[in-house]
Amino acid sequence: MGLWRYAARRLVQIAGLFYVILTVLFIVFRLAPGDPVERMVDPSMDPEDAEVLMAQLGLDRPVGVQYLYYLKNFVSGDMGISFHYGEPVAEIIADRLPNTVLLFTSSTILAAVVGVLLGKRASWSKGRSTDTVLTFSALATHTVFLPWLALLLIWLFAYRLGWFPITGMVSEDVWLDPGATWWTRAVDVAHHMVLPLASLFLIQFGTFLLVMRSSMLETLKEDYILTARAKGLPERVIRNHHAAPNAALPVLTTIGLSLAFSINGGAITETVFTWPGIGRELVLAVSQNDYPLAQASFLLIAAVVLLANLVVDLLYAVLDPRIRY
Amino acid sequence: MAAILGRVRFAWLVPMVLAVLGTAGPSSHAADLLKVGLPDEPKTLNVFRASGRWSGRVLALMYQPLLVRDPETLELIPWLAAEMPVYDPEAVTYTVRLREANWSDGSPVTAGDVAFTGRVIREFKVPKYYSKWKFVTRIDTPDDRTVVFHLSGPKAVFLSRTLATPIVPAKEWTRAVEAARKKEKPLRSLMNHRPKTLLSSGPFVLKEWRKGAYLYLVRNDRFFGRGQEIAGRTLGPHIDGILLKFFGTSDAAILALKKGTIDMFWWGIQPGYIEDLERDPNIQLYRCERSALYYMGFNLRKPPFDDVAFRRAVATLVDKQFIIRRILQGMGEEMDTVVPPGNQLWCCPDPRTYGKGLGRADRVRAAYRLLKEAGYSWDVPPVNDRGEVVKGRGIRYPDGRPMQPWTILTPPTDYDPLRAMSGTIIQGWLQDLGIPASARPMAFSALLQQVKTRRDFDAFILAYGSLSLDPDYLRSFFHSDNDKPRGWNMSGYVNPEYDRLAEAAASTIDTQERRRLVWQMQRIVAEDVPYLPLYNPTLVEAVRKGRFGGWVKTLGGIGNLWSFCELKPL
Repeated sequence: MGLWRYAARRLVQIAGLFYVILTVLFIVFRLAPGDPVERMVDPSMDPEDAEVLMAQLGLDRPVGVQYLYYLKNFVSGDMGISFHYGEPVAEIIADRLPNTVLLFTSSTILAAVVGVLLGKRASWSKGRSTDTVLTFSALATHTVFLPWLALLLIWLFAYRLGWFPITGMVSEDVWLDPGATWWTRAVDVAHHMVLPLASLFLIQFGTFLLVMRSSMLETLKEDYILTARAKGLPERVIRNHHAAPNAALPVLTTIGLSLAFSINGGAITETVFTWPGIGRELVLAVSQNDYPLAQASFLLIAAVVLLANLVVDLLYAVLDPRIRY
Repeated sequence: MAAILGRVRFAWLVPMVLAVLGTAGPSSHAADLLKVGLPDEPKTLNVFRASGRWSGRVLALMYQPLLVRDPETLELIPWLAAEMPVYDPEAVTYTVRLREANWSDGSPVTAGDVAFTGRVIREFKVPKYYSKWKFVTRIDTPDDRTVVFHLSGPKAVFLSRTLATPIVPAKEWTRAVEAARKKEKPLRSLMNHRPKTLLSSGPFVLKEWRKGAYLYLVRNDRFFGRGQEIAGRTLGPHIDGILLKFFGTSDAAILALKKGTIDMFWWGIQPGYIEDLERDPNIQLYRCERSALYYMGFNLRKPPFDDVAFRRAVATLVDKQFIIRRILQGMGEEMDTVVPPGNQLWCCPDPRTYGKGLGRADRVRAAYRLLKEAGYSWDVPPVNDRGEVVKGRGIRYPDGRPMQPWTILTPPTDYDPLRAMSGTIIQGWLQDLGIPASARPMAFSALLQQVKTRRDFDAFILAYGSLSLDPDYLRSFFHSDNDKPRGWNMSGYVNPEYDRLAEAAASTIDTQERRRLVWQMQRIVAEDVPYLPLYNPTLVEAVRKGRFGGWVKTLGGIGNLWSFCELKPL
């Protein structure tokens, strides 16, 4: 089977799976405890007002009818109106998603690059102090409690040293200044991004380092590495040209999925750093039973993860000549 | 050479880093701009949709009502109204004369705006306001500054609630209202309308809302109160504007306050932070009473809670002072009635209390006595033959049936640790008496659904963080008509005498007479204990010293309209 036929077959499978996810999400949110209206009412309102609110949110209809509307809206590209914002869900996601992608994709790429390089180095120095230090650092930062790390970074670098803003994505001094250029604003966002990026990097890079190290150690046992050594090739060439490319294949899966999940953001990071991304919105939407926003966010994540899996599989075939579909 | 090349390769980073660090300094043009930290962002600035706390607080700085509360006396005083409304008991009308006021674009606030607001609420049945306007049968505007409200009957809440509704500018909303009328779901269309600009009749006007980052309000130079004396206060605003910044956690907001990034954190400071902030020479703490009610509710539809003797025994066991001392770290006051003590106008001074001043052993003895007199029995009584308090076991109903285990639902610790811990402590006190109670933290939305919608519960601990100053909620909480799904009578309390008093109070215009009725209602609730009021936490708010002066303390804190109208840069 050719690569394109394989891709087409997988796309059909993905479409089927996506429909299942679409339906499961609908059912899960209707079964989940909580009432979207209860947090919108106060004791000065009559119970009838709550019923009116239910009707406005479309929740007075039978569940089957709600489901049909849900499917119809999805097919027509309408993700509904957020219960709490009163805005189209698509606009809320379009507003928040770029912020999340900027932060989390940057951190994933940075962590992947550094993790792979250091993992390569650690495996090459197996048993020596470099390996011990790198492996220990990876394990330590990978297992650290994220909110604690984030608050520690804020306290040290923002509060004590004053090098970075405490939270947020932009500074009002810059963005309210009519004379500010796009460059000033870009720098301002970069400035705000340093601490959340650092905390995400510290949490993530250990994963890539450990995967790369372990993959490299396996690869170094292969016969072609022995052959390369027997040919008298320099260690640097063996490491970088013979071992690393083959060892990087498992890392590719980790990177692909990490990038896919990066659109999910991270509720903790976004909350502690008040980063206006999709992760925090998703958590709020779930906790406040904002069905349209929560469903659309999860659907987006599902779509990206499914497609990322397909891309990784196709990349395998491109990068490894032994793999053919 | 390689090292030099390496340095050159990354040389571009140097100006970037310098540029980045260069933006770290404080603003040079923010001298008279009040920077306020909020724990959450407003969800919408559509006044007809806004149900959240933050949307309401921001809108309250722009859309003004006809009457507001004096911050000291808490009495209603004219605001957009020029004087207090004139009541005609024969015609059942209120006539309101408007003061001379303008919208932020310079056009006058007219009787037409007031009538438009009321008519839209009534026509569309806007859920947030409809219950406050449904008894208004007609609104006349004999001239541009006079409004006559015709009521279906005397309504006590007309002044405190109907006339506290924010007045919207007709010209800004007319198009949206007309478009909504043509839609299949007019109310939905109205509630989903997103106003692009907001005319303001208040002290501030919206300049920019950068979603997820900040909301910037500038001084409204056309604010009617500017330079006027109202309630004995000469109003401003004297500041250039208010910048509301959003913070995901209290930790970050408090660090920002200590650092000077914000001037005020508009949220109650948790007890754990107070000591640290008190030590900071740059921080000023304000302690205010709240209009809050933290309480334990019972499901009176089922045993053992359908027995008033049992509820009184539970009330006797619960040591509110202990909860305030140990859990709230002294930052709260005991509540004996469901109206907060700070609401002096309506809080009943002499409700029945239970176990007040007693130690733990004496509380157990008193509760034991109450239950024993009501016919309850134990396998192992909590008070032995020598009168000593021991661990009770196996409580039985008067008919001899053993009491089945029951639960006290509380919010989870991540939502409100104080209520969760209160539940655990109360559980221990009940178990000491042999009552098989256990506290169960539950996700807040699920808890509300279980208690208010499904009514499938035994007991619960909930709270109203910001009760209206008008005591009409007493009718909502305990009138038998509200014992229905989504109704506010969650306990299922039914008392015809109480219903009669509640209805009488709702239609009594005379304040003294209404107060007598409201006090009587509170006495009945204290006797029957459908709710057991627990505590009213003290609101502690923090501001930077040396930036702005003139904060106005009132019930509910210093973050209020009066403060923002009176603050002056120091």
